[in-house]
Amino acid sequence: MTENSSPGPRPLLHMDGIRKTFGPVVALDGVDLTVGRNEVHGLLGGNGAGKTTLMNVLYGLYRADEGIVTLDGQEVVIRDPRDAISHGIGMVHQNFLQVDTYSVTENIVLGTELPSWPSMDLKGQAERIAELSTRFGLSVDPLATVADLSVGLRQRVEILKALYRGAKVLVLDEPTTNLTPQEVDSLFGSLRAIVDEGMSVVFITHKIRETMAVCDTLTVMRDGRRVGTVARRGTTPTELAGLMVGDDAMVRRVTEVVTAGMAAPVGRGPTVDAYAAGDAPERVVVSGLLAHNDHGVPAADVSLSVRGGEIVGIAGVAGNGQVELAEALAGVRPTAAGSMSLDGRDLAGSPTATWLDGGVAYVPEDRHRDGILPSESIVENLVLGAQRGRRFRSGPFLDWRRARQHAESSIRAFSIKAPSASTPAAQLSGGNIQRIILARAFSHEPGFLILHNPTRGLDIPSTQFVYDRTRAAAASGTAVLLISEDLDELTNLCDRILVVYSGRIVGERRRGEYDQYELGHLMAGLEESA
Amino acid sequence: MNEVTSFLQLVVTAMVPFILAAQGTMIAGRAGVFNVAQEGLMMLGASVGFLVSLTFGGNLVGLVVAGLGGGLFGWFLGWVTTRFRLDQFVIGLALFFAAAGLASLLYKVVIGVTLQPPLIPTLDDLSVPGLSAIPLVGPVLFQQSAMVYFAFLLSGGLYWLLYKTNHGLKLRSVGENPKAADSLGVNVARTRIWCSAAGGALMALAGAYLPMTYTGTYTEGMVAGRGWLAIALAFFGGWRPQYILAGSAFFAGMEVLALRVQVGGLDVPHQFISMLPYVATLLVMMFALRWARIPAFLGRNYDRESRTSH
Repeated sequence: MTENSSPGPRPLLHMDGIRKTFGPVVALDGVDLTVGRNEVHGLLGGNGAGKTTLMNVLYGLYRADEGIVTLDGQEVVIRDPRDAISHGIGMVHQNFLQVDTYSVTENIVLGTELPSWPSMDLKGQAERIAELSTRFGLSVDPLATVADLSVGLRQRVEILKALYRGAKVLVLDEPTTNLTPQEVDSLFGSLRAIVDEGMSVVFITHKIRETMAVCDTLTVMRDGRRVGTVARRGTTPTELAGLMVGDDAMVRRVTEVVTAGMAAPVGRGPTVDAYAAGDAPERVVVSGLLAHNDHGVPAADVSLSVRGGEIVGIAGVAGNGQVELAEALAGVRPTAAGSMSLDGRDLAGSPTATWLDGGVAYVPEDRHRDGILPSESIVENLVLGAQRGRRFRSGPFLDWRRARQHAESSIRAFSIKAPSASTPAAQLSGGNIQRIILARAFSHEPGFLILHNPTRGLDIPSTQFVYDRTRAAAASGTAVLLISEDLDELTNLCDRILVVYSGRIVGERRRGEYDQYELGHLMAGLEESA
Repeated sequence: MNEVTSFLQLVVTAMVPFILAAQGTMIAGRAGVFNVAQEGLMMLGASVGFLVSLTFGGNLVGLVVAGLGGGLFGWFLGWVTTRFRLDQFVIGLALFFAAAGLASLLYKVVIGVTLQPPLIPTLDDLSVPGLSAIPLVGPVLFQQSAMVYFAFLLSGGLYWLLYKTNHGLKLRSVGENPKAADSLGVNVARTRIWCSAAGGALMALAGAYLPMTYTGTYTEGMVAGRGWLAIALAFFGGWRPQYILAGSAFFAGMEVLALRVQVGGLDVPHQFISMLPYVATLLVMMFALRWARIPAFLGRNYDRESRTSH
């Protein structure tokens, strides 16, 4: 291999010219990656850059069309995860691959060749797992059922799975999603311990701040290509942002996204533009609103208010009632009790159409499932929700000429990249689908805008676009509620942040008082220390 | 032998087809394959078991061939739903019709239409030395045919396999979260195909038991809905072998009770009495389904490169 002539020890892992296509889409276009020994190697890039696809190829979940993988100087063929495991590769996926009904120990030993006669010795393995937990600072009860564990603990189980199998290379895909800042610190500590014991870690992330905090070396990807590999000590966030985004003009427009949280890596956020919306009138007043989840169990019970022009954030670990809260406030989930009024008009109990006409706009979390009609055109998706109104009507019929004009002007105003206004929505990328949903929400000139994880899975320019539009909506007097699992996003955009835990609001902070650790403390359900 | 003992003895005898068919449903289901062809496979097992026993003059060979036939159907269900990811329910129904049709066809080809159908000997009772002398328990549990002992031992064996062995850990993971199993190197397709084959074999054995225990011959309609009830029993038993064994006593009990009441000459139309097991099942299921735990991926196919999460 080419690496043999390079100075220094042979790299542990080398991927060379990896190409992977999904139908006509080229996901990876000849990507190289070299991971040295005892290092945390960051794989940085915006969503859709191909980071996860590259690692799925390494782990045998995807078969590459072309390319060579070399481990310890030996070329290896990885056909499925079994091959990857036997070569010492472990991977922690973003959506944990665990059997919910199994214990921690059962999840970890699954797939190994433990002898069964007369029965499996799970107790002995539990002890071994407890020992690994202590050694790497990944403490978790080996006998607990994983369904009962928090996200942070479930992630430890995933890491232990790889360590238990004697992994030499551990891949973590966006491991900080849904962790509190405290849990992130503890994770980074464990990664250090893992590297100190002679293993290497590949850390997939789209956050520059995280790579600067934990990585030794960084490979940056963009559009399915590797665009650079740099040592952390020799680089700056600005250089990384440039690599991630491509052209300099764009970098300046999206700085906010790529440097999210950088201004305050620890401690308090910026105080310059302290809480200002304090005297605008309250447009949205929610009191004692109770919503049940799909199993009929109470899941959200909140009182809150949002002033005109204010962006209020809801912070919390996923699964603490955010979905139910968002849907109840948007009028698409029936409320069991309480009231919700917009500009003094109580909407609770009315049909969804009344909420829409009343000026409520909703950008749902699952944009593919809840946000669009996938096989309908952009025109039809943009009319959706306004079909009853006078705007697109002529007599008893819909006026498609006007609808089409509206779609074409929206496509321009929201920079939707599409062949034409008649293109079915499902053929567009996630970022463009989100632009359609935003365009639809804004065309109603909403009084109350609810955004749920609006930038999840979006590429960098689209994320910046969402931020700009959200601010513009607030500036025009809309009351905005931003429900997000991304603390950087919340501290960046919001005038006020409410923390939700188990469906209840457990704390409130105003701009100028943000402290991510304090927020993390509340998100974990711990009492306010005051 | 008193009334209670003979009643219980009949119940244990009647448990066997329920145990075999429901454990077969369970073992395939725990790997994620939801077989709905029980009724048809039991008919096929009854027909093939009878015809082969008649031709070769031995019940054992009849059982073996019936089991192999059912296994082939189960294997096919596992194969097409993993290899081609065809809908499990649709294929299962198709297999039900195919097996039911084949059962009648084979009987007509070999025996034809006769007024006096030929008979095979029913299975002998094997008394377990010592144990069969225990009062009540002895006659009920230990003066039975070999298939009764087989069904009980099988249930114990399945419990051990599922919960005490590494194979069981892998098998259950395939039905709970095949993606997780796959990511740890468990062969999802192979596990599903073999569990489905084993399940089909047990269903056919359940059918073959009927002519060898009750009638000595094959008749249309002799399965009488036991296959459909086996699906209910699998849910009722929470897809766990120990509860399925216990639940089969309830289903068999209702069956024997209905017979007893008919014979006892109560002044009720016998159709109402015959309805009893099904009505009881319906009522029990309404409550059982509330707490029943079912494998998360029951009836759902798995595609590794599918980019949508589940």
